[in-house]
Amino acid sequence: MDCTCQTVNSDLSLLEPVLREYAEVPGSLITILQHAQETYGYLPIDVIYHVAARTGSTPAKVLGVATFYTQFRLKPVGKYLIMLCQGTACHVNGSQKIEKTIQEELGISDGETTPDGLFTLKNVACLGCCSLSPVMMINGETYGTLTPSKTLEILRGLKKEVEKA
Amino acid sequence: MSEITLTINGKTCAGHQGDSILHIAQANGITIPNLCAHEAVARYGACGMCVVEVAGNPKLVRSCSIDAADGMVIQTNTARTLQARKIAMELLMSDHEGDCVAPCSLSCPAGTDCQGYVKQIALGDDRKAVEIIKQKLPLPASIGRVCPHPCEKDCRRQYAEQAVSIAMLKQFAADNDLASAEPYRAALAAPTGKTVGVIGGGPGGLTAAYFLALAGHSVTIYDAMPKMGGMLRYGIPEYRLPKKVLDSEIAAIAAMGVTMKNDVKIGKDVAFDDLRKAHDATLVAIGAWKSSAIGCVGEELPGVLGGIDFLRAVALGGKPDIGKRVAVVGGGNTAMDACRTAVRLGAEEVYVVYRRTRNEMPAEDVEITEAMEEGVTFKFLTNPAEIIGKDGRAAAVKLQVMELGEPDASGRRSPVPVKDKFEYLDVDTVIGAIGQKVSPIGFEEIALNSRGIIAADEHTYRTSLEGVFAVGDATNKGASIAIEAIGEANRAAGVIDSYLKGAMAAFAEPFVSERAVTDAVKAMIAEKPKAARATMPQRAPEARKHDFAEINLGLAEEVARAEAKRCLECGCHDYHDCKLIECANLQEIHPERVAGEKHEGYVEQALGCIERNQNKCILCNLCVRTCDEVAGKAILGLVGRGFKTVIRPEFHDPAVIADCANCHKCADACPTGALKILK
Amino acid sequence: MKIVIGEGSCGIAAGAAKVYSALQSRITAQDEITLGVTGCIGMCYLEPIVDLYYEDGKLAHRLVRVSPSDADAILDAVRAGDASGIEKLIITKADEGFLSQQTRIVLRHCGVIDPTSIDAYLVEDGYKAVEKVFATMTPEQVIEEIKVSGLAGRGGAGFPTWFKWNAARSAKGETKYLICNADEGDPGAFMDRAVIESDPHSLIEGMLIGAYAIGAHEAVVYVRAEYPLAIVRLEEAFRQARARGYIGKNILGSGFDCEFRIKAGAGAFVCGEETALIESLEGKRGMPRLKPPFPANCGYNQLPSNINNVETFANVAWIILNGGAAYAKMGTENSKGTKVFALTGKINRGGLVEIPMGKTLREVIFDIGGGIRDGKQFKAVQMGGPSGGCIPASLLDTVIDYKALGATGAIMGSGGMVVMDETTCMVGMARFFLDFTTKESCGKCVHCRLGTKRLFEILTRIVEGEGKPGDIALLEELCTTVKDAALCGLGQTAPNPVLTTIRYFRDEYEAHIAGRCPAGECNALVRYDIVEDKCKGCTACVRVCPVKAITGAIKQPHSIDQNLCIKCGSCLTACKFDAVVKA
Repeated sequence: MDCTCQTVNSDLSLLEPVLREYAEVPGSLITILQHAQETYGYLPIDVIYHVAARTGSTPAKVLGVATFYTQFRLKPVGKYLIMLCQGTACHVNGSQKIEKTIQEELGISDGETTPDGLFTLKNVACLGCCSLSPVMMINGETYGTLTPSKTLEILRGLKKEVEKA
Repeated sequence: MSEITLTINGKTCAGHQGDSILHIAQANGITIPNLCAHEAVARYGACGMCVVEVAGNPKLVRSCSIDAADGMVIQTNTARTLQARKIAMELLMSDHEGDCVAPCSLSCPAGTDCQGYVKQIALGDDRKAVEIIKQKLPLPASIGRVCPHPCEKDCRRQYAEQAVSIAMLKQFAADNDLASAEPYRAALAAPTGKTVGVIGGGPGGLTAAYFLALAGHSVTIYDAMPKMGGMLRYGIPEYRLPKKVLDSEIAAIAAMGVTMKNDVKIGKDVAFDDLRKAHDATLVAIGAWKSSAIGCVGEELPGVLGGIDFLRAVALGGKPDIGKRVAVVGGGNTAMDACRTAVRLGAEEVYVVYRRTRNEMPAEDVEITEAMEEGVTFKFLTNPAEIIGKDGRAAAVKLQVMELGEPDASGRRSPVPVKDKFEYLDVDTVIGAIGQKVSPIGFEEIALNSRGIIAADEHTYRTSLEGVFAVGDATNKGASIAIEAIGEANRAAGVIDSYLKGAMAAFAEPFVSERAVTDAVKAMIAEKPKAARATMPQRAPEARKHDFAEINLGLAEEVARAEAKRCLECGCHDYHDCKLIECANLQEIHPERVAGEKHEGYVEQALGCIERNQNKCILCNLCVRTCDEVAGKAILGLVGRGFKTVIRPEFHDPAVIADCANCHKCADACPTGALKILK
Repeated sequence: MKIVIGEGSCGIAAGAAKVYSALQSRITAQDEITLGVTGCIGMCYLEPIVDLYYEDGKLAHRLVRVSPSDADAILDAVRAGDASGIEKLIITKADEGFLSQQTRIVLRHCGVIDPTSIDAYLVEDGYKAVEKVFATMTPEQVIEEIKVSGLAGRGGAGFPTWFKWNAARSAKGETKYLICNADEGDPGAFMDRAVIESDPHSLIEGMLIGAYAIGAHEAVVYVRAEYPLAIVRLEEAFRQARARGYIGKNILGSGFDCEFRIKAGAGAFVCGEETALIESLEGKRGMPRLKPPFPANCGYNQLPSNINNVETFANVAWIILNGGAAYAKMGTENSKGTKVFALTGKINRGGLVEIPMGKTLREVIFDIGGGIRDGKQFKAVQMGGPSGGCIPASLLDTVIDYKALGATGAIMGSGGMVVMDETTCMVGMARFFLDFTTKESCGKCVHCRLGTKRLFEILTRIVEGEGKPGDIALLEELCTTVKDAALCGLGQTAPNPVLTTIRYFRDEYEAHIAGRCPAGECNALVRYDIVEDKCKGCTACVRVCPVKAITGAIKQPHSIDQNLCIKCGSCLTACKFDAVVKA
């Protein structure tokens, strides 16, 4: 059971513009949550309560939606979000080896964040760059035709960047 | 709404436009299995149990969710729908973790509802407890005293400290009931006019007679001995089971109208064939009354007795001349009964000769201890090589010294002779208590198995002869404990009842869900507050070893009630109302073939009045839908997706829990035991 | 001269935006060069692609696999009017064949026009079909024309489009919705994204005609969240179309109103199923509803709704302008028109391929796709993604139409076509798809929630070398029943990848159970070793090993610690002395 009861104090006023626009529009829950995630980086529990209250829903329903779609996160992500494509072409071209390499290097598996808060690994559905497979996207940047050693180079490069800064 | 007519399984069924197929079927008395449908909430269609075939539609149709249309032709039990349901159930059960029935009940060969009666004893209702026991076992006061209680072996309480004293509690409740002004009597069914002859008045025969009489049949028991009770009377010494207790329980069976004829020897006083023809059905429950031979030189000498022969002679009131020194050969309960009886007859030196060690002894540990307390000497790792005679009578035993070798098929380390190492024991009597054999004299028409034992079908208890059934020690695997024979007799009575009604139905073990006892489960139980197991008050060894009065004094009331409260109630509260287990028993299923990851379950007090056991949840979503659509609260919800979906009350937030109306409509709607209303 | 850079997501991922910046920063005020963008031309394997156009709009040169460092050479060539310096960038004849062998209707503007400009679309007869419809056709006539065309739903099911339109038109009710399913979830298909990114107005135009036909005044495009660029381009296209009067009230003076909006999905494959999509549109968990009632009568907000996918709509304007009969002339008896495929995997030329129905798989894979990469053997092609199946070499001459593909056990699907060679393990392939469907199952119905999970577990057991005799029969039994009894299309088709691989590659399943992976792909069934005699101790393998599983002193034979080895095969590739062997 992952604990969801820890206290968070999100600045709920940041959500006001979105709620003003959508709270009364039926069927807008997903849109509101998308904006909320953009605002907070994830969906803090108090935000879920707040959205429920403002949209006349219940926290159970909002949480139900928030946990149904892979886009939503209930926990903050690391500085680098590694989105590893799990499309068919990537599979055929060896994405499992890339996943294994990332897991070995960072010690995290799908959905986890390194203890230092640097990396989060997320397996994602096809990114649509099939001809570059296997592919991963880190913070919006696409890395294609990966090999295990190329993957390590990229990850270690990012680590070094952080160390420098 | 306009009326429509459809054909379901060939039957014309009327309904209304807008009704689901399921609704119309049920209104017309046709059952379609279902788990997630409920009239109070909107259609959902998740469980896939209610699928039917509709003529002209190539797809399986979920009958709960599809509007019936005029003229539809529907089949509910086709090979395709049955297969869909079978897989649905196998899949559901592969992710359903819980004990339908408590492990004690499953371990009881007679399937007595231990948790059920222990609960009643805890509540102070001994009569109700006896009522529950007697659904499976008509001799609770006797069996409570003598049963080696396999139930306790699997009691989960042992992971906290020790098993619950289930057998002692049974004796407690049964004694109280017998002593009450109006002991419990089950109501008999209307007479059927059929007669059943039961041959053998031991625990098996008595039990069969009880249940057959309950079903309204006219039963006569024929027994070769002067009194009913079989091995309970003639194999178990008075100090363990006072015959007064047995007499009361037999009298209660006689009071149901069962005719009891003693001193009838089949093949001598009456031919088996005549007896068989005199009844609509016959049950053979003659037991195993021949002592096995020791198998060494000299055992034919006077002064060498068979264990059960010896016990029977004593039970019949005889005082066999056993002298001062007695050696009992064997390590089972009969050996213990024999050695302790020898002590009570005045023998000064009593030995138990056993070829392995105490650890391997099949006798109950408590009996070994009691025998030791009474002065019996155990000669472990010895085996009689020869019984040496003097003056034409046994005078000494030559013992081969043994040591333990490799484990054998039973898992016990097998004894191996130590070369040229012998001991000698001077004795007056040798009692061989190493086993019992069946002597099917008089029953020559019935086919025997390769071991010379009556062969009975495992599911119907039928023998090779039409209308002749057999149970107990005389059948299949041979001698065992009383409760085994009782279980078989109860099940055989059911088969015989169906046979007499014209459609014999084999006994089928119901499918139940069993929880794996993982280390995590053990650890969870270990955290329970400790409460030591009750001990049976006994007469002191010095006092008891000189007479045959009962050595156990019975549990005091407050001790028994407290003991009963130690029960962890492992069996599911919902077992008797569970739609899931009902569906699981519609056809033979084997969830183990699709065994895989299960939901990481937990039990929690979810809301004010509800305890939720996620291990048992089948995600039918009825609680969520009921909370939303009926209660108008929507405080329960689905969280996650796919296999990982769980049902959650919200985050254990007191404010949200406070919003719960405590209407427990969710638990009422739950088709299985995942939600429990807390009183 | 005009330089146009292909900027679909895929091109950008390959570096198109960097090429654009490199060029932009080097173009001076004196240069008479305009820089433009276009969408995706579908030659993914050649990205980034830069087209050089003469002033008259004729294509001068197509440059491929361009990198930012080529910017100077390109500009020099353009300025000098001499391409000799960039010859190595110019597309080869063979590669041109990739395009020239296609028949493009859906993709007719993709990679040709600037997707961010409605004017570019208008130049190409854009919105002429809408004008024609409003001026000359009744809704019934539109539906009839679509019926004549034989257009079928391109999202996967292949249901006749006119029938759905007609059902929605006939449904009772004032308010109706037209919904475009752009939740392209099949991993390995990306034609819908390409259309939205490269030619958004053709989608809008097709939808407008559909809305008119069924009588809907509200149109919604449900786009996958993973397609941010598509959303941006579509929003821009809405804005421009609204400004020009193609969206809104009284469109082109016809009296017909239609509003458009985008709903971004949030990541759930099952939302490609139309009833789940509707649930999601309503802001709920995307769990499929029972059918009937069908969306045509009771859909979004419980009102009549019609849902078609992007590719379907992208055909509509062409059909109206050229006539249904012209469309129906292409294709086979039961499948009309063209179909777009996303050709990927172990193929030489991967990308988007639009061909008339009736071509064979062999023509697509070998003639257009150029066959198998690295000289390997073709083993199978996966069609239809998680709902489809694997078609073996023996069936390469199967013609592409709904019926013929269905007979193989695969499906047309949305057009994913993933090619595999002999190094692809077919059991692993089945497991890959079941992993996908298990994660994407909404969890509502038992047969799908637990059935896909157990199938995945059994397949996992097999690829991990723990398969048992009887597993194949169990897989088949489970598959057949899950197909039969699952609630929605996801569950009903999820077993297809297993069933087709068992059907055509049963020997591979049997080999795994016997302890061998014929493709050498299953880690548990392969190991890498270093042959002592051949190893020179060059340490090349040590350097590439990502998990430090290889040890040994320099110039001494090395060895692999099997407990650490993750079987990535890097050492095998790195070794120059054939000392690393795979068994």
